[in-house]
Amino acid sequence: MNPTSRREFLKHFGLGAATLPFLGNLPSLGFAGSSERKQRLVVMFSPNGIVPKNFWPDEEGTDFKLKPIMSPLADYQDRMLVLKGVCDKIRGDGDSHMRGMGCLLTGTELFPGNIQGGSHTPAGWASGHSIDQEIKRYLQSSPDSQTRFGSLEFGVVVPERADTWTRMVYSGPNQPVAPIDDPYQMFSKLYGQLKDRESLKSILDELQTDLGKIRQLVSVEDRKLLDEQASFVRDMERELQQENPAEVGHKVPELEPGIQDTNDNMPKISKMQIDLMINSFQADFSRIATLQFTNSVGQARMRWLGVEEGHHQLSHEPDDNDDAQDKLTKINTWYAEQLAYLVKRLDETPEPGGTGSMLDNTQIVWTNELGKGNSHTLNDIPFVLIGGGCDFNTGRSLKFDRVPHNRLLMSFAHGFGHHIEQFGNPDYCGDGPLSLS
Amino acid sequence: MFRARQKLIFLLIASVCWSGFCNRASAEESASPGQKIYQKLCLDCHGEQGQGVESVYPQPLIGDLSVNELTTYIEKTMPEGEPEKCVGEDASAVAGYIHEAFYSITAQARNRKARIDLARLTVPQYQNSVTDLVQSFTWRRSLGDKRGLEADYFKSRRRNRENQVLERTDGRVDFDFGEKPAFLADLIAKEEEARKAAADKEDKEDEEKKEKDEDPPVQEEYSVTWNGSLYAPETGEYVLNLKTENSGRLWFNTERDPLIDARVKSGDQTDYTTTIKMQAGRLYSLRLEYFKNKTEKTGFVQLRWKRPHQTEEVIAERYLIPENSPWSLVVETPFPPDDKSVGYERGTSVSQEWNNATTFAAIEVADKVLKRINELAKLPKEEDKHAEHLRQFCEDFAERAFRRPLSEEETQLYIDRQFDQAENPLTAVKRVIILTLKSPRFLFPGAAEQDFDDFRVAEWLALALWDSIPDEQLFQAAAQGNLSSREQIESQVQRMLRDDRARVKLQGFFHQWLNVDHFHDLSKSNELYPGYDAKLLSDLRTSLDLFLERVVLQDDSDYRNLLTSTEYPLNRKLAEYYGMPQPSGEDFEFVSFEPESRAGLLTHPFLLTGLAYDDASSPIHRGVFLSRSLLGRFLKPPPEAVAPLPVDLHPDMTTRERVAMQTSSATCMACHGMINQLGFTLENFDAVGRFRQQEHGKPVNSLGLYLDRDGEKAELEGARGLADYLISSDAAHNAFVEQMFQYLNKQPIQAFAPKTLQKLRSEFEDSGFHIRKLMGNIALESVLVARKLEQAEN
Repeated sequence: MNPTSRREFLKHFGLGAATLPFLGNLPSLGFAGSSERKQRLVVMFSPNGIVPKNFWPDEEGTDFKLKPIMSPLADYQDRMLVLKGVCDKIRGDGDSHMRGMGCLLTGTELFPGNIQGGSHTPAGWASGHSIDQEIKRYLQSSPDSQTRFGSLEFGVVVPERADTWTRMVYSGPNQPVAPIDDPYQMFSKLYGQLKDRESLKSILDELQTDLGKIRQLVSVEDRKLLDEQASFVRDMERELQQENPAEVGHKVPELEPGIQDTNDNMPKISKMQIDLMINSFQADFSRIATLQFTNSVGQARMRWLGVEEGHHQLSHEPDDNDDAQDKLTKINTWYAEQLAYLVKRLDETPEPGGTGSMLDNTQIVWTNELGKGNSHTLNDIPFVLIGGGCDFNTGRSLKFDRVPHNRLLMSFAHGFGHHIEQFGNPDYCGDGPLSLS
Repeated sequence: MFRARQKLIFLLIASVCWSGFCNRASAEESASPGQKIYQKLCLDCHGEQGQGVESVYPQPLIGDLSVNELTTYIEKTMPEGEPEKCVGEDASAVAGYIHEAFYSITAQARNRKARIDLARLTVPQYQNSVTDLVQSFTWRRSLGDKRGLEADYFKSRRRNRENQVLERTDGRVDFDFGEKPAFLADLIAKEEEARKAAADKEDKEDEEKKEKDEDPPVQEEYSVTWNGSLYAPETGEYVLNLKTENSGRLWFNTERDPLIDARVKSGDQTDYTTTIKMQAGRLYSLRLEYFKNKTEKTGFVQLRWKRPHQTEEVIAERYLIPENSPWSLVVETPFPPDDKSVGYERGTSVSQEWNNATTFAAIEVADKVLKRINELAKLPKEEDKHAEHLRQFCEDFAERAFRRPLSEEETQLYIDRQFDQAENPLTAVKRVIILTLKSPRFLFPGAAEQDFDDFRVAEWLALALWDSIPDEQLFQAAAQGNLSSREQIESQVQRMLRDDRARVKLQGFFHQWLNVDHFHDLSKSNELYPGYDAKLLSDLRTSLDLFLERVVLQDDSDYRNLLTSTEYPLNRKLAEYYGMPQPSGEDFEFVSFEPESRAGLLTHPFLLTGLAYDDASSPIHRGVFLSRSLLGRFLKPPPEAVAPLPVDLHPDMTTRERVAMQTSSATCMACHGMINQLGFTLENFDAVGRFRQQEHGKPVNSLGLYLDRDGEKAELEGARGLADYLISSDAAHNAFVEQMFQYLNKQPIQAFAPKTLQKLRSEFEDSGFHIRKLMGNIALESVLVARKLEQAEN
């Protein structure tokens, strides 16, 4: 056997998937939209901590200056909440990277297991589900907020292995959800049915022609069976040609063909995934999305920024290594640019069937598994909140006194009207959700 | 389905009716006395030719009672409300007339016009055809004789030559390695010796240092890989379970992503399961990598599965082979079940659901093929040559699907137009696949063929023996004109019979013949049958399959052994439950099981259990089964649904007495006279198939009387008496031949030449009732007759 590698496969499929003709009237594959406000949540993850001095604003309150890493987000400073002092207090099995990743959205311990990190005890998967999945369940439980997928998990250059460092979304204890880091695969998930409709439409003429011919060949007694079959095929044709009244009125995105899933294509893949996410929101396929760049301990080599070293390796360099600090700043600034692109797209897109922009109804959370790479601290986990999805009072820089991040996770649920009293480990939920409005 | 006491069962009433039409005795003068009476007394309700009268009695008069039985029935019941009007000679004359004119089997066969209907592929035929079609672009592995999995044992997590300590074939993956695995015993002993020697030599002060320098004990970390293939005995959903305290990964039917990835050990999870669909008779490559980590104290690994209709268990050696297999496509799109109203699945009707299923399945197949197109179309490195290869692939695909070469016009329609119109070759491939699999040329075998040529012969044989498309050899034989003479066809049939697919088809026939799929999920009264559980039932089913398989695969493949053999496969659980000595191994072993009372499959506990209530045996269910399946008798549904008498209402009665009492009326007895008597012969076996001589303190009476179609009476003493009767009964042989014929061809045997059944039966007898030869003869005879009929028509 000569198995095709995933990359070869992608290369081929890029061609097929991407050359889909532009479709003006796209039938909705989602549920019919409702008049209720469509609140959304996007969690974007980048790994290995940040460079504190180039990240955290010095000031507190409404009057604050963005540091270099955050500079790409300058246009949206008034839509932003920068939260310092939120800490991942979950302890137990696993090293900081593992817990940083596995407990980030779950707020609960990892099971003991066999995955040995750099230090501490080996660990397995998280022992609970993540907040995005909690909110997804809440939204899916009501017909007004139910969507076709409920949530979509996007990835960008996530390594092809399932372990504690590569998974942050959990649908339940021991149930990690793999992000889809292949835009063509995501495209197929979102629009595959449509492609199939196109393929079917294209062969119907030939099929009917041949059915008619064969009909002449069989005896009168047997003709009945073929006539019945022909009528079913005609029904199918009618069904395919029918315009679906519930249009979503958005274009099927056109993907650049043949982009391989490699480190160097990270910028392209990032943009493709963000575009697909915007499309899926427009079609109301989902109201929850996660966007995971690489993984905890991720080793992206951002050669396009002139950084040859791997990200994780750089993050271990001491604070006095200026070169490393500079490169880490560049890397994190690049991630901020990706975020800025996402925010801009949402801001530019009017809310379908509603008022304002999609950004007004979308809560974006940019986070990380560590506070700082070389210390592996789980204190001061970066949390940058943008958009109006949870109706937080934005345009502020806030500094907390080491509050457990479980409380912030609860704030997101409360922002959706889902008033949970605890999330993850209840010991860290005292005093309830952080008040951000 | 026969389970709950409170459920209504059908008491079957003998039909007084056979359909067909009478030899038109047009003139009143020439009418026989019987016909005259019929016209006077019966015609108003039953119609001129016994076809029935819509508003009065719409059912046709068809059946298989003898003339005497029919006479008695008429005397007692007909005309309705006034049975005294037709008795004695009159009753006998009218019975004789309708028997001869339209009622009896022979009358019906004589009157029926031979016709082979156009049919679509049945669901299994669709699934097998598609799988073989796609696999024709790679290769096929057959089951062969080797069993087990190739195993490589390593003294480290690193799996390389240097660390390999053992290479062998394991019958099953079922290992409790404990703290010190046996395969490392030598190494552990050596290490301990070395440590002891070192300890003796070195000073006590060095101890601490030594401990630091020392390598970790060898049993701390090790790994094993198992390689080979898994054989699926039935089509359906399987649950695979990698059960381990440690970690591992399981690849199944692919070398790409593992089906089960349990590399991360998390918490106390030990079961890693997934559900997948498999197809009967197919082999799927399997690779299991197992790791024991430093942090884990002990090692434990099992590879388990839950087969359709069965309980979970470790995968037994007979389903594992130590050789790999190519990827095998499984159609996962659900299909509506085939029409089985005539007793066997056939494809003589289409529906919206079926059409939709073929559409979704075509898309599914196209997507799966495209994912592996490099390998299937053997695409070269040079991309500029891809289009050419893809086109060739499409031509081959359509040719194999249509089971004949494409004409120029078809090539134009199916291939050229797609490549001309699609924006790139891969899109064209997708369209060709969908169009091909939606085409009537694929879905309706024979529809597009004007002559019964050699390709039609090949197609017929492949469907009859394999439920699939011709393989390359068969296709080539057709292409070279080597499927014309009887001898040429026969030599292909002989070859095809040796293929796994023929074996699967035969197994499918047995399942249908014995109705086994109708009685899974049987539970029994805990109070009466303690120890009877789902696992026991599951093992019984396996035992029946193994029993059938052995009889069929033996050199003499003797039908009579099915009914008389007393060698039954039992495993430990079954042996214990049925009071037999324990087999030596884990698996089933054939043992002589109550040879003085048992008789082949008639007394196989799975059948006896299936044909029983939860708290009592059921002579009626057993009798219906014997009448229909074994003796080929025709039974119409009972006129009304009747609940069986509850056991506790008559606690002192035997089952036989209770059944006899409930069915004692004349109306009931018309059918139950036969049904009950046959069922009573198995009364020595209770609701779970255990032998008994007493019931409720009374001796069991297992004598049954049977009147055959010609009115011949036979006394059957118990199961062995029944078996002895059946193995020498022409009617039973006919029933077996006819049912197999219809299962293989999905067409009624009456549609073929009238002598076909007789010919096949006598060949069957001459061959010493050789089952596999019968299968071959049916395929051979049916295709020859069908060709002759078609040529006569043109």
